[in-house]
Amino acid sequence: MWYRSPSFILDNQAQEKLLLQQQQHQQNDDVLNPPPPPSMSETSVLNPNPNPNISAYYQTRAAHHAVVTSDWLAQAQAAVAGGVSGEVTAAEVEDGCEVEKGGSVIEEFNSWRKQPDLAEAVAAIRALASVIRSSNATTMMELEIELKKASDSLKSWDATSISLTAACDLFMRYVTRTSALEYEDFNSARSRLIERAEKFGEISYKARRIISMLSQDFIFDGCTILVHGFSRVVFEVLKTAAQNKKLFRVFCTEGRPDRTGLRFSNEMAKLDVPVKLLIDSAVAYSMDEVDMVFVGADGVVESGGIINMMGTYQIALVAHSLNKPVYVAAESYKFARLYPLDQKDMAPALRPIDFGVPVPSKVEIEKSARDYTPPQYLTLLFTDLGVLTPSVVSDELIQLYL
Amino acid sequence: MPDTQTLVNDFVNKLKKRKIEGSQATARHTAELLRSVISQQRIPYTNQAGALINAIKAVGEQLIAANPVELAVGNIIRRVLHIIREEDLSLTTAAIAAAVAAAARSTLRPPSLQTLLEDVPDATAVPHTSSSGGDSEGRSKSADKNSRSRKLKHDVIEAVNELIQDIATCHEHIAEQAVEHIHQNEVILTLGRSRTVMEFLCAAKEKKRSFRVFVAEGAPRYQGHVLAKELMARDLQTTVITDSAVFAMISRVNMVIVGAHAIMANGGVIAPVGLNMVALAAQRHAVPFVVVAGSHKLCPLYPHNPEVLLNELKSPSDLLDFGEFSDCLDIGCGTGEPLLHVVNPAFDYVPPNLVSLFITDTGGHNPSYMYRLIADYYSADDLVIKRKSTAGN
Repeated sequence: MWYRSPSFILDNQAQEKLLLQQQQHQQNDDVLNPPPPPSMSETSVLNPNPNPNISAYYQTRAAHHAVVTSDWLAQAQAAVAGGVSGEVTAAEVEDGCEVEKGGSVIEEFNSWRKQPDLAEAVAAIRALASVIRSSNATTMMELEIELKKASDSLKSWDATSISLTAACDLFMRYVTRTSALEYEDFNSARSRLIERAEKFGEISYKARRIISMLSQDFIFDGCTILVHGFSRVVFEVLKTAAQNKKLFRVFCTEGRPDRTGLRFSNEMAKLDVPVKLLIDSAVAYSMDEVDMVFVGADGVVESGGIINMMGTYQIALVAHSLNKPVYVAAESYKFARLYPLDQKDMAPALRPIDFGVPVPSKVEIEKSARDYTPPQYLTLLFTDLGVLTPSVVSDELIQLYL
Repeated sequence: MPDTQTLVNDFVNKLKKRKIEGSQATARHTAELLRSVISQQRIPYTNQAGALINAIKAVGEQLIAANPVELAVGNIIRRVLHIIREEDLSLTTAAIAAAVAAAARSTLRPPSLQTLLEDVPDATAVPHTSSSGGDSEGRSKSADKNSRSRKLKHDVIEAVNELIQDIATCHEHIAEQAVEHIHQNEVILTLGRSRTVMEFLCAAKEKKRSFRVFVAEGAPRYQGHVLAKELMARDLQTTVITDSAVFAMISRVNMVIVGAHAIMANGGVIAPVGLNMVALAAQRHAVPFVVVAGSHKLCPLYPHNPEVLLNELKSPSDLLDFGEFSDCLDIGCGTGEPLLHVVNPAFDYVPPNLVSLFITDTGGHNPSYMYRLIADYYSADDLVIKRKSTAGN
């Protein structure tokens, strides 16, 4: 249990202090949602997430997949209503200008993030580009400091999104260390940064194409592929395979509670790929028919393991025990500098779950939206850097952040 | 040109007829053949490296098609291509300003997170710089041109010579490390015969280590018998066992040391048949399973269905004498199909999780570290030789 380990006690104490301050401002929120337990609070004074009980990342993902439960909608609406007052009070606490800046980058990010085809990282980098564009810094150093502030506020606004954090880090790294900027004057360096940020959408699109090309060799005729959830990369991979006239069958898990698997099976059926829908608990039952497991990733961590939608871990465990390969398709900008030691080592990303019937208030509900799959259960990672074994991930990260 | 073509055809024939035994000999022959191809290739003034690469790829395609199972051929071709790219780059670095060359260098490196954001303009810019480099070269004096084209060729041939040297001495480099791995009074198990293993064991013996060796005979070719004789000649305590006795003996063994046919990019091993069984037995008793192999056996490809696609079925005469079962193999009886089938595969695939350690000429490595060596030896553009060269044609 991580909250018993000494290193987290200090963290907890700091968070509890924050929480006390928060609770004074969140009286109206408390009516709707009980106050979060200390270990789960992931808010900051600077930019409080309107509703810390719902992971904004998973909220947008669900919105993209267009299977939103009514319960979720209600909560999200409540969060928006509560969020307005929350932000005003926060502005009173901090000095106004800083929060304004942070607020604008978040708005920018949110408007980009709403586009369903755009990766989270692209939205983040575009939002940072808008900071550069609107900044009136005159030196590189000033610009860097402004960017740092903006990326910090972005990161703290939604700590549950790993690719957001990773993309912010990657872009900051590019700004501070790239050799391409060394010989130029400030204005051209600035326009170059903006241009690179604009191009990032292309990079992301290209990455998906590279991944789908790389993985074609691994899909052989007559194979059965198990997928979990809706991953845009995995979809691209299977779409390319279908276009290449490969004969394969897809098993989709249902992907409770946002039922992303339903949408995936729908898309597969549109491509005329034979597809079968499983409930999440039928994975072990059907595993003997499966030849390989394909999953996407919300984030790839330093150990080479992945953080992905809830249920990935148990699928990987079942696949491992039946000796089936587990392939992960993920773009390299999802590599994050995290090293979770176990499942509870990360701040949980919570989401509401609709059970269809009212659940008595004494019954606790596990609401975490994601789990951590350790590297020993993964066979290979398909990334735009090539086909990698899990141990390559840390090598890449060390090279970048050394 | 005509004499390289006959050389190539000759080598292709030898590969097709499986006349060349062992990946080390194949690797050496391939490298020597490519060296003569390079030295006889006429080089145009512009885009010299491109001309060399195309020539090598054209030859390489034929060689790989001749024996797709012998991965050492493809490995050496890719190494030579990598050498050409590197030498060309070092020449342009000398010629062009440092900043541009640094950008060009990033294309040779495997793609990494570091270059992710820089990638797009560079990819478009680099062909420009190299072609403009060629143009400016074309505009300069002819004496200069000649010296440069000769320089590239000279450097490449020099580097290929080094590669041949490395292949020839890889056994010694591996054997040097024997003392670090084999300790006093240990019991070593091996299967079949591999020259690398033999020299590895002998090197430990020469350093006054006394240990025992169990040799599984390696049916159906019984190369283990040959190994046992060689070890006995060097005063090593040797025990010959049947292949089926491996599990019975494994609990008394301290280490399994075997050779390999090829090492794949994920750390899996294509090994002589029977080794997967040995590896499983070793895992059951937690005995370290060590693979010794020269770096020419390192293949940058991932195995897809290796038991079938990277395997070779040998003649049944290894198993059965012709006279003994000739009536069973008669096609004339009944359905027109013989009732007796003989399957004699040459290779096994050992998955990376069963291998404890690889010992190559550069040292000992974990299976998950193989990708790193591959990134050093090969450039990412050369992984698929066939498709690129047909596109080039």
